[in-house]
Amino acid sequence: MDTARENRTWGALSDLPGHPMMWVLILTETVTFGLLFAIFAITGVVHSDVFSAGRAQLDPVLGGVNTLVLITSGWLAALAVEARVIGRRTIARLLLAGAAALGCVFTAIKVVEYATKVSVGIGLETDTFFTLYFLATGFHLLHVILGVIIIAAVAMYDSLDNLKTGTAFWHMVDLVWVVMYPLIYLVG
Amino acid sequence: MTRIAARQATRAWFLLVLFTALSMIVWHVGARGLVGSGIVLAATVLKGRWMLMDFLKLRHAPSGWQIALSSWLILVAVSAWSATAINLLRG
Repeated sequence: MDTARENRTWGALSDLPGHPMMWVLILTETVTFGLLFAIFAITGVVHSDVFSAGRAQLDPVLGGVNTLVLITSGWLAALAVEARVIGRRTIARLLLAGAAALGCVFTAIKVVEYATKVSVGIGLETDTFFTLYFLATGFHLLHVILGVIIIAAVAMYDSLDNLKTGTAFWHMVDLVWVVMYPLIYLVG
Repeated sequence: MTRIAARQATRAWFLLVLFTALSMIVWHVGARGLVGSGIVLAATVLKGRWMLMDFLKLRHAPSGWQIALSSWLILVAVSAWSATAINLLRG
């Protein structure tokens, strides 16, 4: 098998940056979160009063700050790939460290937000809104934590392909939050 | 190419910050109806598209991928906007 044919063994996925297997994961997650958002929208219609009351108890400023934290992290990760392309490995690693650190800031803010809710007696079983709120944001938070681990791993094993693959996952996590923030905190 | 890509990522980051701030301002001034939701969701679709193009680097990928992932963004936004519209119509 020649190189050109070997590079095409993943079909259309071969056209995307990073390892195609990561894109299988990204596309699976995109569909999963898409279904979660659809369930959130439909349940918001069925239980509109519960959703309005629940949304009023969230802090959109905290969610907005977390959005800014995550998009800045994504920007640093994107710049890290560009630095690695021109062989600036130290700068790339510093940028990845910054991206991972902001991922930790996001996690800390989310934990504060959860703790605030729990302190006033709000939990997973309070009502339908908060069940979906904790499930959706908690599932995303697990992806953030996994993303920080992946970013740390590709900073250690910093081939260009690894960086493209690891940062692709991070950008997917970033993208999901950018969509999730208005759906849960702002619109409805 | 690399300098251009870095500049595009920085421009995307600036626009993402700007449109996130816009969404928060729209919420803060109390625009919760169809127009307010429409502005916030349109900003979300634009933000998602900049992330796909300049962070995930799909700008150079085949158009099929760009269309598929942009369609996901639009579908999610339209679902959320429709849910708001149904709730408003029901009073």
